[in-house]
Amino acid sequence: LGVNVTDHDLTFRSLSDLLQNNITPYIALLEAKDCPGIKNLMQKLMAQLMNCSIDADSLEDEDYVQVSQSRIRCSMSSLIKWYKSGTQKTDSETPSQKRTSSTYWQPPPVVVIFKDMESFTTKVLQDFIVISSQHIHELPLVLIFGIATSPMIIHRLLPHSVSSLLCIELFQSLSCKEHLSTVIDKLLLSDQFPFKLGEKVLQVLINLFLYHDFSVQNFIKGFQLCILEHFFSQPLSVLCCQLVDLKKRINSLSHDQCENIRRLPSFRRYVEKQESGKQIALLTTDNFLKEETERLLEDLHVYHYNYVSVLRCLHVFTSSLPKYPLGKQIRDLHCACLENQVWETEEYESSLQLARMLNKSDLVTMLQQCVEILLSSSGKEFDKTVEKLKEFLTQFQNLEAEAFQERDGSISSQKELQKKTDLYHLQKTLLELKESRRSKKLTKFEMLRFEVVDYIDCLVRNYLVPADHRTLHEILYFNTATVLRGHLNAAPRTALHTALNNPHWYLKNQVLKCDGGSISNKAPDICIVYKLHLECGRLINLVDWLEAFATVVMAAEAPDADTASSDQVDDIIHARFIRAVSELELLGFIKPSKQKTDHVARLTWGGC
Amino acid sequence: SLAKKIKEEKMSNLVEEYFEAHSSSKVLTSDRTLQKLRKRRLNQETLHDLLKKAPLAYAAEIKELNQQHESMFSKWLLQLHLGFNIVLYGLGSKRDLLEKFRTSLLQDSVHLVVNGYFPSITVRSILNSITEEVLDHTGTFRSPLDQLEFITKRFKEDSSLELYVIIHNLDSQMLRGERSQQILAQLSSLPSVYLIASIDHINAPLMWDQAKLSLYNWLWYETTTFSPYVEETSYENSLLVQQSGSLALSSLTHVLRSLTPNARGIFRLLAQYQLEKKDNPSYPGLSFQDFYQQCREAFLVNSDLTLRAQLTEFRDHKLIRTKRGADGVEYLLIPVDVSTLTDFLENEDEDV
Repeated sequence: LGVNVTDHDLTFRSLSDLLQNNITPYIALLEAKDCPGIKNLMQKLMAQLMNCSIDADSLEDEDYVQVSQSRIRCSMSSLIKWYKSGTQKTDSETPSQKRTSSTYWQPPPVVVIFKDMESFTTKVLQDFIVISSQHIHELPLVLIFGIATSPMIIHRLLPHSVSSLLCIELFQSLSCKEHLSTVIDKLLLSDQFPFKLGEKVLQVLINLFLYHDFSVQNFIKGFQLCILEHFFSQPLSVLCCQLVDLKKRINSLSHDQCENIRRLPSFRRYVEKQESGKQIALLTTDNFLKEETERLLEDLHVYHYNYVSVLRCLHVFTSSLPKYPLGKQIRDLHCACLENQVWETEEYESSLQLARMLNKSDLVTMLQQCVEILLSSSGKEFDKTVEKLKEFLTQFQNLEAEAFQERDGSISSQKELQKKTDLYHLQKTLLELKESRRSKKLTKFEMLRFEVVDYIDCLVRNYLVPADHRTLHEILYFNTATVLRGHLNAAPRTALHTALNNPHWYLKNQVLKCDGGSISNKAPDICIVYKLHLECGRLINLVDWLEAFATVVMAAEAPDADTASSDQVDDIIHARFIRAVSELELLGFIKPSKQKTDHVARLTWGGC
Repeated sequence: SLAKKIKEEKMSNLVEEYFEAHSSSKVLTSDRTLQKLRKRRLNQETLHDLLKKAPLAYAAEIKELNQQHESMFSKWLLQLHLGFNIVLYGLGSKRDLLEKFRTSLLQDSVHLVVNGYFPSITVRSILNSITEEVLDHTGTFRSPLDQLEFITKRFKEDSSLELYVIIHNLDSQMLRGERSQQILAQLSSLPSVYLIASIDHINAPLMWDQAKLSLYNWLWYETTTFSPYVEETSYENSLLVQQSGSLALSSLTHVLRSLTPNARGIFRLLAQYQLEKKDNPSYPGLSFQDFYQQCREAFLVNSDLTLRAQLTEFRDHKLIRTKRGADGVEYLLIPVDVSTLTDFLENEDEDV
């Protein structure tokens, strides 16, 4: 298993369910945090096994009581006794049970799953393995270890004498990236769900996945948050629904909601493009607006159907190109398409150029794949496209015969070349060949190839318009990435840093505004103390610090009337200093130091 | 690329500075100490009074900030119900904010407030209050794990049970341990337990690994309030506040009052000797042999044994500390700071 510990739970649960249904009723799942010692481990194991078998066999209540009593004394021998009686019971039970157990007339194995091998204490693990290996003839145990790193860890955790007791067979799980690809494929690129992610949001989620935790569960959590955020903040998200419900919901819109629609930026762009009569109708009549909205939203859905299938086609092409200019995975392509008009990017340009140099067999297989994709898509507009592509295919088949001839031709010219071994002639013929090739009209195949690529290009241009450019995209697409990033991947340190360095950012007061680096002497106490502490080295003398603070604060208060006696002011300043310092201590910037009297040590370095 | 180069240079400079600052153990600071400051140290009460007098700066702006945060309350509630837990970070005490959240929205529902900054809070006490107050269970558990299991079971059985847990300062000294975080994380992963917590320490996120993070299922909210940490820092023993000093002095005099004159003399001798050597930072204390010699000369003890017995009594009252030096000789020290000791000797002189 991979390092994405958070996803393992699901895997293990389905594994144990599967095993329970197909092989054996005896399964125990052990976690490292439950088993600090061998005693706890045995207790846990016993409890789980007995409960497991009860679940599976659904015995009477009295048996349950018995079992829970025996939980107190947990040892290997009692486990074996219980196991024997259990197997005997299943052997000599009612016929129906006998039938199931007779399919494996030898007793079923007991499976113990160690969820997180790395976090177990080695001693416990070793002891358990040694103990169980001694009883293996009475108690057929199968141990499954979940390893987050590499199999090397088994040999590092277990000494040779113990690992030799195990008969290890390695299994590999799917890499988390593949999981992500399937999730994206099924979740984001399906036309079942009306809710879509905008480019920036998707980028944030993918970055979190790839650069932080590799956890699919967290990806899904982020997606959930997106849905929540979208339906919470966007008043028009009621219209984010299946086409079937759309009409009803649009008809039930209130006037205010219509106003909301009018306020959408993409809708305004749309209105501006209409002629004046229609503009007025759109902006004033609610009913007309509703009809128009319905049509536009239907368009949006249709656009999405087409988008997905064309995207898949394009992916078929680009994923086979060398160096993957547009990315290897379909998610890269999806991001690129959402971000911009994809045909304007350099990468697209280079990938088209590469596509023009494809050889025939590849091209044919790709076209066939495209046809399949388009056929399976539910959009109706592709009939023509499919026909066109099929036509291409037949043309290719027709071409084959000609291609052979051509190849013959080229072979003959090469033969000629071989005949003339004279250096001078060779050079001359080579030049001739080159020239002829340059001047020669493109072969039929090449022409066709260009035609195909151009056609694909035009498909892309028609269907892969980024969502941002569509009218009313705000309803279906969620695109506030900053909110998402703030909630999922926060940086408390940065927040503290800005608050301490730049109190103006939070407290909107003109007095606090000043250019970077320096700090106004009217800032809150803690900011001044923090700034002064930044100027120090590793240790800070409290007296000097206090005096510096007093100077700054006095300078700030000097313009005020000095009515209060200086002594009292001093005391107050002292008290404020104490408060600020203890706040800094609470925040973890400094700690009291024993190295020198009345000094504190800094715990941070540099600007933060 | 020029800007990049400059940035790189700056970075490498920063790195070099770091190692320069940390390479030598010598630190250049002045030798002044608070002792020499003519003013007296403040104690906790006067500090509190003084701070009350000082007006809170930028009250209006802070209030505005708080109102911004308060507008999020209903959203928090929704998100809590959807299985997320909320964590607040940012400068300033978030106690009042959470308190307000509690009073405005949670009044009618079962909720538990945990003051993490309280120095004697433990996970066990949190779990106890859940089992006893919320679940009405009067029983003891062998370990927190068992207790947690019990709670989990109860919450799973009874879907009508709901519990809001508010933790102020999740990152405080007592709760930051691995075990307690593990237990809290598991608790918070229960679907009907809603956790809302605040953190302050800059390194607070270090205490969570992947597994705990996924259990906690945090939603981060930045709530910079700039309000002073009144409650939180009242437990933080600051260097500047006079705390243990007065206590030590009174206890010192009390204990010594009950002793024989000879015993008092012995302690005086040790204290005087320590005061003479106070400027020598490497002073290890008085060795037992020397001390014995001096006590004999002052006619305070007559044998090795009586002095030892006396010292044992001192040690029981934590008046002295013995330390074994590098040469294996026992050294005696009074673990009280210099000023207290001076005060003590002055008092003694007055009494006599």
